[in-house]
Amino acid sequence: MKKLLITLSVALLSYSGFTQSNALQQAVSKLDQAQTVNDFEQLEKTFTGISGQPAWLSSYYAALCNAKIGFLLQDDGEKIEPYSNRGEEQAKRAIAALDSAKQHKELAEVYTVLSMVYRTKVFINPMTYGRKYGMLSDQVLKQARALDAQNPRALYVAAWVKYATPKMWGGDKQLAKQLATQSLQQLGTPGTDVYPHWGKAEDQALLSKIK
Amino acid sequence: MKTITYILLLLSVSASAQNKPAVAGSNLKPAVPAADTLIKDSASYSTTVKADTAIKSKRSLHEVVISAGSFEASDRAKGASLTPIDAVTVAGSNGDISQALRSLPGAQQIGETEGLFVRGGTGEETRQFIDGTLVKTPNYPSVPGVPQYARINPFLFKGILFSSGGYSALYGEAMSSALILESVDLPEKTSASFFLFPSNMGTGFQHLSKNNRSSYGANLNYSNQSLYNSIVPQKPEYFSGPVYFNGNVNFRVRTGKTGMLKFYSNWGYSDVGMRNPDIDSAALKAGYQAKGWNSYNNLSFRSYLADDWKIDLAAAFSYNKEETNRDLTDGKGNMLKIPFIPYSYKTGQRVMRTDFSQMRAVVTHLFPQGQALRFGAEHFYTDDRGRSNDSNLVLTDHLTAVFAEGDFYLADNLAAKTGLRVEYSSALSRMVLAPRISLAYRLHDGSQFNLAYGVFYQQPGNDFLYQPNKLTFSNATHYILNYTRKANNRFLRAEVYYKQYRDLVKTVPGLSNNGKGYAQGIELFWRDKKSVKNLDYWITYTYLDTKRNFLDYPYELRPSFAAPHTTTVAVKKFFQEINTSVNVSWAMAAGRPYYHISNNSITDQGNTNAYNMLNLHVAYLCSFFKNRKWKDFSGVAMGINNITGTRQVFGYNYSYNGLFKSPVTLPATRNFFVGIFMSFGIDRTDDFLNNNL
Repeated sequence: MKKLLITLSVALLSYSGFTQSNALQQAVSKLDQAQTVNDFEQLEKTFTGISGQPAWLSSYYAALCNAKIGFLLQDDGEKIEPYSNRGEEQAKRAIAALDSAKQHKELAEVYTVLSMVYRTKVFINPMTYGRKYGMLSDQVLKQARALDAQNPRALYVAAWVKYATPKMWGGDKQLAKQLATQSLQQLGTPGTDVYPHWGKAEDQALLSKIK
Repeated sequence: MKTITYILLLLSVSASAQNKPAVAGSNLKPAVPAADTLIKDSASYSTTVKADTAIKSKRSLHEVVISAGSFEASDRAKGASLTPIDAVTVAGSNGDISQALRSLPGAQQIGETEGLFVRGGTGEETRQFIDGTLVKTPNYPSVPGVPQYARINPFLFKGILFSSGGYSALYGEAMSSALILESVDLPEKTSASFFLFPSNMGTGFQHLSKNNRSSYGANLNYSNQSLYNSIVPQKPEYFSGPVYFNGNVNFRVRTGKTGMLKFYSNWGYSDVGMRNPDIDSAALKAGYQAKGWNSYNNLSFRSYLADDWKIDLAAAFSYNKEETNRDLTDGKGNMLKIPFIPYSYKTGQRVMRTDFSQMRAVVTHLFPQGQALRFGAEHFYTDDRGRSNDSNLVLTDHLTAVFAEGDFYLADNLAAKTGLRVEYSSALSRMVLAPRISLAYRLHDGSQFNLAYGVFYQQPGNDFLYQPNKLTFSNATHYILNYTRKANNRFLRAEVYYKQYRDLVKTVPGLSNNGKGYAQGIELFWRDKKSVKNLDYWITYTYLDTKRNFLDYPYELRPSFAAPHTTTVAVKKFFQEINTSVNVSWAMAAGRPYYHISNNSITDQGNTNAYNMLNLHVAYLCSFFKNRKWKDFSGVAMGINNITGTRQVFGYNYSYNGLFKSPVTLPATRNFFVGIFMSFGIDRTDDFLNNNL
């Protein structure tokens, strides 16, 4: 009986582990299709509820959803802050779940998202939040690229920054184009598993805006 | 002085340049958010946000912030809410915060003197408070017909609360309006700056310690208008200056985990001497010279005692000496003394020395959901010693106030702030009780209704208290209803109010508190940062219906400083491709009434023509030294005030017999400036990062 119970519970546990990773996979697939604030809000809830392994991924994706919402709400500074704050918290949680000595590639992914989250804080009101969070965003992105120079998502964010920044502050549309193209090349044919693979649509959208 | 505004403007441009922070700028914002602020609290050392004066609910994402009667410009402004930089960089503001705020609804377009005339109130009925302490003389000594500069750089403030009525029980002695200013904490980095304009120059530095816990800085500004005035003719003939010299030092240090100790000292000297044709005799000229020496010192400390307790302490000391000389000269420049009326009034000397100090303590107990109870006390000491011709002018006054105020939620979307203030003045031997109540109701779409009621007392001006009198406090009762909606980087605000003035000072017949009056009106504010990319504009409309019987008015009149309709537009646009910012402000107001009052009756009256003022500022930003350790942030700024050359008439001066009148106009039709400025900062991004990650 005891044995049976143990077997059963082990089976249950592994089943729940399986469903969790399954849930993560499902959510990530949905994320690839998400477009609206509403979509990302729903997904953020889903990711927050997932506790499967690897631990950093669900926080990472939740933070990404919040960053995406911030970008979509760019012109509505009143609304952004709660998303930014949650995104920052989640990104930091993801960092804490990683082994900073070994998991350089994974850390680069999270830093990239954290850089985006700080960018959304700038949108709240560039005049009041711009200096502090613009600077933080740049620094975090630098860290991401130092850890993984060819990370296509870090390249994309760098391209976006170069595109959106006024010329006098170092903006450069041609460099943006170069970086986005490079990012696209790195992405090749992105996978569909749970490991971060987004960026292609974002690169293409950005490139379409640059002559 | 005015240059400061342009520098601010330039910095603001850099900050507003989307998605990229300003590269330099001396002491605009603190590196780390302050442990708390006067207006809104956010503790930087814990992740939770502690609300103080502003009520915030954590029950939902929707905070309810009471805002009847006030415009808040905070360094935490979101969306289309005002930031301090937005507020002070309106074209034509001359580096004077009270002039800049004239682009907001409720304020009158007064061109002949300094100060902020709000909702039927005089300039004296608006008071400025820095970190809780009253700034008695925010501007250089007044001269007739020409507004004088502000002494304090609007750079200094990270929080500006412009209340056109219904303000908190923590403040008093301002019948019509309070300007509640909060000074910056630590600067973001070590920096140095200078600016050079033909009539203004200045230099300064801020030093931030390595551990980011303390800073000190100093600034020196010198302004001499005589060169400018020799190129652009002025209506008054200046025989001295105008010269302004100003210096300030500051020291700020973090104490413990949440403490902040700040010291600010400002001292200045000014000299303006001018002559105008005498209105009673074509052969004579009337001279007026005002010299001023002033020092304002402010020491403040704030800290959390325990998690739920906070204290704010402040002490201020100011010294002010003003010397005015009036004289008459004939065609050859000889001084004359004519011993009969009205000429005998036109010569003489007056010297006034004022010591003014204030101590203040406020204790706050914070409750969950951002509810709070505040209480405290303050004491003002005024000592005037002066002389007007042969008479001595002496006044000593102790004014004590105690106050308490509570912020609480009546329901999830209904917040209340109720307060009581008690004041006792030794000079008046009177005690008064001022209740204040405001409510905020938040609707589902995020818009908000605000309601405020309050009684506001103010002592009669010192000039009335030098002679034996039986005067008491003047007061105003405010009733305000306001609606705000903020969404999509747009901000709409509409406000209606009614105000009743009682016990205003009358000088004819005899000194008394028999004056009274009322003011009512509608005000609209619309700001839009979204519709056009990189364009920020706001439009305001002010309707004011007011009458008062005070001073020598024979009965209730629309005062000469009140126009029934006022519209202002402020536009800021940054042209990224050419690194140029363009800042336009336009103000239009219906004519103001003017009167000739003689022997308690009106012998002549009328309305001035409409006021129409268009100002343009253009700034080109650049960097002269690239890729150095000391990055510079520089630019060239230029501007014209009153572009259209409209002849602005603010009122009329009458001859003694009332037969002649001469208009009070701008000293020169247009006002121009051009100059350069530079700011150098050590890039300490890395230190900053280490403290934040």
